[in-house]
Amino acid sequence: MHSSLNIKNLTIWREKTQLISLNERIKGGEVLSIMGPSGSGKSTLLNWLTGMLPHGFSAQGTLLLNEQNITQLASHQRHVGLLYQDPLLFPHLNVADNIAFAMPKGNKKQRIEKINDSLTQLGLEGMAARHPHSLSGGQQARVALLRVLLSEPKAILLDEPFSKLDATLRKDTRELVFEQIRQRQLPAVMVTHDDSDAHAAGGKVITLSAHIQETTC
Amino acid sequence: MIHARDIFTRSIKLTPTLLMALLVIPVVGGLIGVLLPAFGYIPALDKTTFTLRGFYSLFNTAGFANMLLLSAISSLVSTLLAFIITVLILACYFNSPWLYRIQRLLGPILVIPHAAAAIAISFLITPSGMISRLFSPWLSQWDSPPDWMFPHDSWGISMVLGLTLKELPFLLLMALGALAQADLGAKLRAQHKVALSLGYCPMTAFFKVVLPNLYPFLRLPILAVLAYASASVEIPLILGPNAPPTLAVAIMHWFNDVDLTLRIQASAGAIMQLLLTMGLLLSWWLLEKLTKKFSHGSLINGRREYAGQLIQRFTQVLTFILLSIIMLSLAGLILWSFAGYWRFPDALPSQFVLLHWQHALQQMQTPLLNTVVIGFVATLVAVILTLFTLEAEQLRTRNLSNFASLLIYLPMLIPSIAFLFGLVWLQEQVGSHHAYFNVIFGHLLFVLPYVFLSLASSYRRLDPRFSHLAASLGATPSKVFLRVKLPQLLAPILIAFALGLAVSFSQYLPTLLSGGGRINTITTEAVALAGGASRRVSAVYALMQMLLPAIAFFLAWFIPKLVFAKQTASPHKLQHPTLKQQSKA
Repeated sequence: MHSSLNIKNLTIWREKTQLISLNERIKGGEVLSIMGPSGSGKSTLLNWLTGMLPHGFSAQGTLLLNEQNITQLASHQRHVGLLYQDPLLFPHLNVADNIAFAMPKGNKKQRIEKINDSLTQLGLEGMAARHPHSLSGGQQARVALLRVLLSEPKAILLDEPFSKLDATLRKDTRELVFEQIRQRQLPAVMVTHDDSDAHAAGGKVITLSAHIQETTC
Repeated sequence: MIHARDIFTRSIKLTPTLLMALLVIPVVGGLIGVLLPAFGYIPALDKTTFTLRGFYSLFNTAGFANMLLLSAISSLVSTLLAFIITVLILACYFNSPWLYRIQRLLGPILVIPHAAAAIAISFLITPSGMISRLFSPWLSQWDSPPDWMFPHDSWGISMVLGLTLKELPFLLLMALGALAQADLGAKLRAQHKVALSLGYCPMTAFFKVVLPNLYPFLRLPILAVLAYASASVEIPLILGPNAPPTLAVAIMHWFNDVDLTLRIQASAGAIMQLLLTMGLLLSWWLLEKLTKKFSHGSLINGRREYAGQLIQRFTQVLTFILLSIIMLSLAGLILWSFAGYWRFPDALPSQFVLLHWQHALQQMQTPLLNTVVIGFVATLVAVILTLFTLEAEQLRTRNLSNFASLLIYLPMLIPSIAFLFGLVWLQEQVGSHHAYFNVIFGHLLFVLPYVFLSLASSYRRLDPRFSHLAASLGATPSKVFLRVKLPQLLAPILIAFALGLAVSFSQYLPTLLSGGGRINTITTEAVALAGGASRRVSAVYALMQMLLPAIAFFLAWFIPKLVFAKQTASPHKLQHPTLKQQSKA
C-alpha cells in the first residue's frame, strides 16, 4: 500500500478572517513545501495538521492519513512526527535515551541495538551516552531527526527545520532529511522561509499570501 | 566603574553588610543561646558546668519517641501529599486555562496566617463542625455531635490535613512561577508538544518530559516547606494531638514552664529539633535520588499511556474536594462569627447577630494596634534595607554571591523554635528590655527574607539605561535612586510591603517569645482563643487575621492604579487648550 497524506477541502479562519484554503494530496516520499511571509498562516496550518489549533482559530476540512480520517484525533494518537527549527532534545536524557523515549515499546536489547545502528548510520557513533548540550548544532539536529524517525511516524511535518543551521551544515542536513523521507516513503509537509529549502525538497511549492489583520481604532 | 563619594553612596555600600549582620548575628547567637543551656550551662541559675543532663531528661520524657515520630511523619507526609497534589494538578491542567483559575482560587490562601487556616479547618472537622452538620441527620442519623476525636486525633491526621492545605498553594504558585519564566515555560511547552507528536498521551508526556525538568525549580521551596512543617507550632497547637504533642510544641511548653530547670531540657529539645529537621531534609534528598535512579528505566521504555484517564478523573475529583474543603472552612468561619443560637444538625444558625463582632472589636483594639504598628515598622525597615542592598548590588555591578543569598534565607530554613529562645536570652544579655523593640526585631528576621525574595527580581530587571541617562543629565546617585528607580518600582515595592505585612501579621512564636508574653497581637490572641470556650469569638479573630493581609494586598493593588490614573488624567487637561486651537483652525 502506498502511504499518503490527504488534505481535503481545508479552510482555516482566524476569528472571521479566512487564512488558508487548501486541497492537497501528498504521496509517500514527497515533500509539500509551504512558503509565505510571517502571519500568512504557515504555522497555523502545521497546528491544524498536528491537532493543536489554538483558541481563536476554526477549521473546516478533512485530514486523511493512509486513507484513514484523523481529523478529530488528539495529536498523540495521529502518528504524525514533528521536526522543529530547535532540536528540542530532552535535557534530562542522554542521546540514546532521547531516541529510546521516541521508540515504540519492545525488547530492551533490540531497542539498544537499533539505536546504536542508526546512530552509526548518521555518523554519530560513540555519542550515545553524551548529553544533548555537549553536542554541536548539526549533531543535535541529526539526533532530533533520528528521534522522530525511530518513533515510526506515518507522516512527518517540518517546521523551518534548517533555519538555525549555517549554510554548509544546512545543505548537508537537508539532504540527509530528504533522503530519509524518500527512503521511508513518508509523506511530508515543510514550512519554510527559504527558497533553496523548497527547491531542494523537490516537491510542490505553495506560497501563502499575507493577511494583514484589519485594525479598528 | 567610578563611584561618587557622597554620603548616600557610602551608606548604600555599607547596607549589605548591615543586612547580613542583622540576620546572621541573631540566628547564630540564638543557636549558641540554646546550645550552651542544652549542655547544662545556665549562669543565671548558677549552673556553670557542662553536663548531658538535659539530653538524659529529654530522652526519659514520657512519649519522647512519639513526639519525634509525630513531628517527622506529619511533616514528611504533608509535604509529600502537597507535592503529589501539586504535580497532579499541573499534569492534569498543564495546557488548560483551568490551571490559572485554580491558581487564582488557591493564591489568597498563601497569605492566610497558619493560625487562621488551622482554626478554619478545626471548625470544619470538629464533631459539631460543618462536615458533620452537612451530613446529619439525613445520612449519618446523628442528632447530637458524633464522638470522634477530630481535630485533636492522636494520629495527627487533622494536622497533616492543615499542613497540606497550607503548603499546597505555595508549591503550586512556585511551580507556576517557574513556568511563567519566558524561556523555561516556552521550552517545556515545546518539549511537551514534541512528546505529544511522538505519540505520548498528555499525562504521560508531563510526567516523563516536563516534570524532570521542572523539579529542580521546586526543590528549594519543597525543602523550605518541609523544614517549616517539621518545626511549626501554630497548626500542631490547634489541630495536633495533645498527649504527646509534636516536639516543637513540647519544647515551647517546657520553655514557658515556671520551673526554670526545665529550660535545660527545652534547650536540649531545641537541638534535637534542629537535628530532626536536618535529618528530614536529608531524607527528602535521598528519596529524590532513589526516585530518580529507579524511574529512569520507565522514562525511556517507550510506554505512551498509563492510566491517564483514570488519574485525570481522580485529580479532577481531588481538586474539587480540596476547593470544597477550603470554601466550606471559610463559610463555617463566617457563619460562626455571626451565629446566635445554632442547634446541632442544622446547617445554618437559627439567628444571625453582630454581637460577637461588636464585643471582639472592643477587646481587640490594643492587639490590633500592636499588630499594625509592629508589622508596619518591621516591614518598613525590611523594605528600606532590601532596596539599599539591591542598589548596592547595582553600584557594584554584580549580584550577591550565592553564599550571601543563602544567608538571607537562613531564618526561613532554620526552625525558628531552635534559635528564638536563644535570641531572647541574647536580648537579655545585651540589656534590651524594651519588649516592643524586641518583638519588632524578632519579626524583622522573618519579614526580611520574604521582602527580599519578592523585590530582588524586579529590581534586577530594571533597565540600567534609565539610570545611565539620568546620570548623564547630571543627576546625583541619590536622585537617580529616589526619582528614577523607586517610582518605576512602585508596584513591586507595594507588593513586597503587603507581603512583609502579611508575614509579620502571622508571626506567633516570635511575638510570644520576644515580647515575653506582654505584647499581644491578633495572632497570639487567636491562638490563645482557639483552645478556649467561645467558638464564635475565635471565629471573629481568625477572620480578622485573614482580613488584615487582604487589606494590605488590596492597597498594594489599588494604590498604583490610583497613581497611574492621576498620571494619565493630568495630560488631558493640558491638552485641552491645544485641541480647541486645532478645532478652531
